[in-house]
Amino acid sequence: MSDRSSEEELLEFLYACPVGLIECDSSGAIAMMNPHAMQHLLPLAGPRDPGNLFAALEHHAPELRSIVAAYAPATGRICDGHRIFVDLAARRRTTTPKVLACTLVKLGPDRLMATLSDISEQVAQEARLRQADTWFATLLDSVSHYAALTITPSGEIQSADACFARQTGHAAVDVIGRHLAEIGGSEPSGGDLRLDEQLLIAAREGWHLQEGWQQRADGERYWCQRLVVARSERGEPRASGFSVILRDVPRRGEAAEDMRRLLNHDHLTGAANRRHFGEVLKREQRHWRELRQSLSLIVLDLDHFKAVNDTHGHPVGDTLLRRVTDVCTALLPPCGIFARLGGEEFGVLLPRYDEDQAAALAEAMRAAIAGIAVDTPRGGLHVTASLGCATLNETDGSIDALLALADDRLYAAKHAGRNRVRSRETATA
Amino acid sequence: MVLEQYSFDNVALPELDTMRVEDHDTLPFGVVGFNADTLVQVYNATEARMSGLDPATVMGVPFFDAVAQCMNNFMVAQRFEDEPEIDDIVPYVLTLRMRPTRVRLRLLAAPGIARRYILIER
Repeated sequence: MSDRSSEEELLEFLYACPVGLIECDSSGAIAMMNPHAMQHLLPLAGPRDPGNLFAALEHHAPELRSIVAAYAPATGRICDGHRIFVDLAARRRTTTPKVLACTLVKLGPDRLMATLSDISEQVAQEARLRQADTWFATLLDSVSHYAALTITPSGEIQSADACFARQTGHAAVDVIGRHLAEIGGSEPSGGDLRLDEQLLIAAREGWHLQEGWQQRADGERYWCQRLVVARSERGEPRASGFSVILRDVPRRGEAAEDMRRLLNHDHLTGAANRRHFGEVLKREQRHWRELRQSLSLIVLDLDHFKAVNDTHGHPVGDTLLRRVTDVCTALLPPCGIFARLGGEEFGVLLPRYDEDQAAALAEAMRAAIAGIAVDTPRGGLHVTASLGCATLNETDGSIDALLALADDRLYAAKHAGRNRVRSRETATA
Repeated sequence: MVLEQYSFDNVALPELDTMRVEDHDTLPFGVVGFNADTLVQVYNATEARMSGLDPATVMGVPFFDAVAQCMNNFMVAQRFEDEPEIDDIVPYVLTLRMRPTRVRLRLLAAPGIARRYILIER
């Protein structure tokens, strides 16, 4: 032992350390890192520089650069266990999607320390616990939170209990004979299913549960879980009606809403983030499988954006990214999601949109982006984008193939001269 | 043995595998040999100099877990599991003495030879 130098021992320790350790300057240039850090960083870097932390993570965690820039104190912990969602979908069903946790500490004006570790298993475990929690909470809740009613196969209310009146503010006698969708039904937001769609699944599979906003008689909105169970007469294969349970789920307060926004949105632009995009994609895939409900995807990449950052600096680049997010979200339908997927790459998820509607929206976004002008000391700055569209129908429900197909078309748009849209119709044009 | 004839690009796997330890040590590029369980069996002088590790402490340890975690991904380690026969050169970035260092790696494996090799050129 004594003949080994302490430097050798220290190196051995760092080579074997099962957590990634990185030291870099404020621009992300890495001075030191251990092998575990490189194990994760190199595959994520792709063609970008693995010797720069921000460049290597630009595609999967573009927010890191702005989180560091926004941190004002001279020293201290910038973020703790910030999650980087590497996979948008599990490649194989057996593998858990990869998630890394990144902690950043500012040691001085131009010195950062970062750790990287793989927390995929913990994240999967958390999801399982959350599910179990919801079920236990349901069991422990007092029964009076549940409104029960029965409806006909077409959705007309046959009976409603006293709790229904308490929860919704509608007296049972007033609603019998009316269609359930007319009572408290606001426009489905996000990817919520309409009642008729839910009945279709329940008739086929026995039951269906979903949650979303409902409206009480006095106009107040509340978060509601709606369980639909098919009833059938003995020996009768077809549903003779449905039992419906409505549960008033006490809603997260403002703090929880803030937390949700933080978790689901990109720090810089306010667009949805990769994590949220991935979750919605999985939910929509389920709707496609159950109902063949269409889903379109647009991927959008700004043209020559690197030159903007190189010439005008990151603050101007950041302003441009925010403006692009603003003009595109303004065009978004209520159920659409506009997400920042990487540095200057965005994804638009469009439930219930077919390929023609998606191509039309992509064209509108292209034109809106081309119309942006940002004032800089060097004069007005303009930008264009290339876009690719694809639908889940084309890829037979595969998320990986959907992302790849939209990407292919995006690159076709780039090759054809940029500032244009490529969809199935124009793919070969 | 005249070792000048062996270069990073064209030394053959059977030649490497039959060389004596002293001959491995005269090669100007890093040589790491390991068995099917990834336990290190060859760690030449050039590699020890680049990494700063004593070969005696590296021998017998699981290479991708204890010494070269930076190669423990689909780009290197996974390939030795998936492909019985490899002779491929890949550009790579290692963390020799904790500094990001661009290198070329040559991955070598063949069905009849129990030991696999990674050659490292700075």
